Amino acid sequence: MSETVVRPVPDEHEGSHVTADGQVTHPQPADYRSARSLPTDPHWFKRAVFYEVLVRAFNDSTADGCGDLRGLTAKLDYLSWLGVDCLWLPPFYASPLRDGGYDISDFYQVLPEFGTVEDFVLLLDEAHKRGIRVITDLVMNHTSEAHPWFQESRRNPDGEYSDYYVWSDADERYPEARIIFVDTEESNWTYDPVRRQFYWHRFFSHQPDLNYDNPRVQEEMLSVLRFWLDLGIDGFRLDAVPYLFERDDTNCENLPETHAFLRSVRKVVEDEYPGRVLLAEANQWPTDVVEYFGDPDVGGDECHMAFHFPLMPRIFMAVRRESRFPISEIMQQTPAIPSGCQWGIFLRNHDELTLEMVTDDERDYMYGEYAKDPRMRANIGIRRRLAPLLDNDRNQLELFTAMLLSLPGSPILYYGDEIGMGDNIWLGDRDAVRTPMQWTPDRNAGFSQANPGRLYLPPIMDAIYGYQTINVESQLNSSASLLHWTRRMIEVRKRHPAFALGDFHDLGGSNPSVLSYLREYKGHADPADEDSPEIHDVVLCVNNLSRFPQPIELNLRQWEGWVPVELSGLVPFPPVGELPYLLTLPGHGFFWFQISARDEGT
Amino acid sequence: MPPGYDPSRRRRTTPAARGRDARHEDGPGHTARRADGRGGGMTTPDVRARGLAAPLAGWLPEQRWFAGKHRTVRTVTPVSCVALVETEPLLDHVVVEVAYAAGAPDRYQLLLGYRRQLPEKLQHVRIGAVDDLVAYAGLWDDVLAEELLRLLDSGAVRGGLRFRPEAGAAIPRGEPSRVVDVEQSNTSVVYDESAILKLFRRLTPGRNPDVELNRALRRAGSEHVAELLGEVEGELLGDTVSYAMVSAYAANSAEGWAMATASVRDLFAEGDLRADEVGGDFAGEAERLGEAIAAVHADLADTLGSTELDRAGYAELSTGMIGRLSDAVGVVPELAPHADALRTEFAAVAGLTDACPVQRIHGDLHLGQVLRTPTSWLVIDFEGEPVKPLAERLLPDSPLRDVAGMLRSFDYAAEHLLVGDTADDHQLEFRAQEWAARNRKAFCTGYAGAARVDPMRHAALLRAYELDKAVYEVVYEATHRPAWRSIPLRSIARMVAAGS
Ligand SMILES: Nc1ncnc2c1ncn2[C@@H]1O[C@H](COP(=O)(O)OP(=O)(O)OP(=O)(O)O)[C@@H](O)[C@H]1O
Ligand SMILES: [Mg+2]
Repeated sequence: MSETVVRPVPDEHEGSHVTADGQVTHPQPADYRSARSLPTDPHWFKRAVFYEVLVRAFNDSTADGCGDLRGLTAKLDYLSWLGVDCLWLPPFYASPLRDGGYDISDFYQVLPEFGTVEDFVLLLDEAHKRGIRVITDLVMNHTSEAHPWFQESRRNPDGEYSDYYVWSDADERYPEARIIFVDTEESNWTYDPVRRQFYWHRFFSHQPDLNYDNPRVQEEMLSVLRFWLDLGIDGFRLDAVPYLFERDDTNCENLPETHAFLRSVRKVVEDEYPGRVLLAEANQWPTDVVEYFGDPDVGGDECHMAFHFPLMPRIFMAVRRESRFPISEIMQQTPAIPSGCQWGIFLRNHDELTLEMVTDDERDYMYGEYAKDPRMRANIGIRRRLAPLLDNDRNQLELFTAMLLSLPGSPILYYGDEIGMGDNIWLGDRDAVRTPMQWTPDRNAGFSQANPGRLYLPPIMDAIYGYQTINVESQLNSSASLLHWTRRMIEVRKRHPAFALGDFHDLGGSNPSVLSYLREYKGHADPADEDSPEIHDVVLCVNNLSRFPQPIELNLRQWEGWVPVELSGLVPFPPVGELPYLLTLPGHGFFWFQISARDEGT
Repeated sequence: MPPGYDPSRRRRTTPAARGRDARHEDGPGHTARRADGRGGGMTTPDVRARGLAAPLAGWLPEQRWFAGKHRTVRTVTPVSCVALVETEPLLDHVVVEVAYAAGAPDRYQLLLGYRRQLPEKLQHVRIGAVDDLVAYAGLWDDVLAEELLRLLDSGAVRGGLRFRPEAGAAIPRGEPSRVVDVEQSNTSVVYDESAILKLFRRLTPGRNPDVELNRALRRAGSEHVAELLGEVEGELLGDTVSYAMVSAYAANSAEGWAMATASVRDLFAEGDLRADEVGGDFAGEAERLGEAIAAVHADLADTLGSTELDRAGYAELSTGMIGRLSDAVGVVPELAPHADALRTEFAAVAGLTDACPVQRIHGDLHLGQVLRTPTSWLVIDFEGEPVKPLAERLLPDSPLRDVAGMLRSFDYAAEHLLVGDTADDHQLEFRAQEWAARNRKAFCTGYAGAARVDPMRHAALLRAYELDKAVYEVVYEATHRPAWRSIPLRSIARMVAAGS
């Protein structure tokens, strides 16, 4: 079996071009065929299990050592088997790759080593065929300095693109705006010797910020959006949304103008592409992030989803401290969100485990506990994968995953974590957690047919996490594997709408090491369909954050007479009585119960 | 009156055990015999209570909150009977005077429910039968527990009882209730997740400081107390007494003791890691707890006033400590080797001259009296040291007494897992002390940062308070839990050694 296919020669007409008179032209959606579409479902993202996959790291179909879109397409059956509903692909656009592809030099072109726009359409089509949706990052705030817009802008201060970026004669404006990449940048302004002015950038100096005060920039970005939506993409993760506009005497974050623009983006989606989703990346406190959902009176009119950043470090902290309070605290501080919205929650992703949303004390603590070696640290986070963070302890891996799948929000799995892949802290930048997916114990972990020396990064080869030990093939063959376990849990989650749609109620309890909560959903089986049956689904989740066995007494008075049925084996537990409900859990153990009316049986 | 950091006192019976305990004298659902052919509704609370005197004499000593367990009960006499609910199920408020074979009598407050037929689920709190009615512990009855909140909500006055909601408080209604199933000197009822009612069992003349201090702190806007929702007070044979208080219930909370001991357990499991290196480190919590206690002290001083310890005050303190020490040495001979050193230490208190504030304090502070909620630490149970007479508990005292109480509690938390450890594990003993030292320091740091008085700057007084408390603990443990007396004894030995 050879997965190698010959990559179609990139069409020289692919992507944007600059005409002789300095006009940047972009391709049209009509230049391509579109993927088949899935039925319109305005709420799919609330129930979806997301899977973040790096195209480069997943599967190489061309034997050039680098994963590509066709390689990913070939693995869709695996993802569908696992129960994934939506893929999230970090940027795959043309880019000089100085910031992992977040420095886009052409929004209309696929990075050549990943394939072509046609390959992407093929991926979309095959994914939709399996009921899987695909979203990708759209970096709205800035472009690469290599983008033709910027090149034209710096070359011609009076031309059509002169105001596409934020230029200034001095580097003093907006002093309240913090510097985000404190490790590498000294200022948000950089001098451009060509135009002889400073340009504004919130991130790296090679990523100039687009000037959203220019209506043409707004139009351009809407055209980018429409291009990919016309091809069939299911939505976008909007990268770095808080920073779109700049205003004097502000910190240039979360400005009203930014929200107004997001509303206009949402309106395009709503009017022209219903059922597609916008996911905000705003690494802020939940109380501030909710602003990005927009007006709650209309169910939200900005982004459909937003990442819940502070939850993730709190989960790690709670387990290390054997105390539920870090989680209870952040959940209590998490405001209600508009009815049409959903959080996105995750344990790990391609960035470091971000510690921006914790206090200094907590950050020191996390470093001390989870990043014992300075190389494990990056920027203000920890560059490790889930399994090594948890000492490869199966019980903790299961506990963490169970919380990910049961806390409010749509879970986002990170590729490879379903088999407990390791990391390589000796690789630079954040590459530690971006190594090739481990498919088989064969050469290159089954990821690529290339000469091992050609791989974009070496696969993990150590004794514990190396691909000879940890790989999809061997875990598929063992029903006790983490992979099979993860799949079963996803399956259970999907059987119970309460996990996705239910209210969250922290049950507290006198044992601080146990985190228990109820998820309760009452409404239509399909919330968008008034004709679908009315259901009442109640799930009780009990998590022992301690390594020791623990008892817990729960106040379930409201459910007196109801029967908790354990969800993995459907074993009915004693009915809830008048007294507090007593459970005992093994160290790092957890239970999921459905609370069923007595006569329902099981 | 046990030190509150005693984990075993919080042990609950399991639901199954509770069921088996139930006494079924008439069998479930049987109707009590009619003595006089009349319905129970025709009798009065007094008549009912008098009819119960004999069963009560047997029932009382079995109650957790009954303090006279080791004394011989001679008579149980109702001294006040008030009908609170006059349709079945009836609810009577009864105060009984319990006379013993020796010593002064006690007064206890009872809430008696009466039904013609006792449902199965109330059988376990059955007391006895009067006429055609079965009497039982009324707080366990959802219907009657709800009646109490209804009376409070309407500001009712019944006989000598005044139900007084706090101004602006929302009294929750219609919530299912349950009696808190822990060892307690009072009885608390939790209304689902909204409120907790505490019925003061043993009545002494005067206002209960728990109500008074909670009210003062709430008015001061403290974040560290549960909101007081109301109280029940009134006249009893010419004295004002507090009968009950109702506060907001912190549904998502855990006792400091449970948090601290989870941390110690984590440390012990690590073996060779230091207290500051393990995941379950408690120092951050201890520091925030210190801040909370300091804030509570500041609010109490601001609202109820404070003065400074003068020479006479120090002298009085010193005399009290020496007196307690002498009594204790008489009871526990193992204290004798340290007696001289302790006496010197306590005597020195009389000569102290540092300007140390005195004010209203908690009086019985330890890790079992603080609740961690998702947002802050709450302090509960401001009744003060239960062994002291009420008048004494109301006196101003140094906030360092509270600090010392908490410091002792850290020591208990660290050491209690080693009780009965025959292996005499030096490594664990060392770790335990390291944990205690780290968290005591963190607590003091948090306290000093937010307080007007830095405990470190009154080291001698703080030490004396700690030793005084440890002496009290030795006596308590020797009487109630001899295996545990090693904890305070070892602390005394350590402190005395370190001081010389
Ligand atoms: N506001 C509250 N919210 C939650 N739980 C509470 C609250 N107040 C009290 N509790 C719980 O009820 C228990 C008993 O409360 P409290 O200490 O006031 O009673 P007590 O009868 O004075 O006890 P003790 O015999 O220890 O003096 C506490 O241990 C605590 O766990
Ligand atoms: Mg108490």
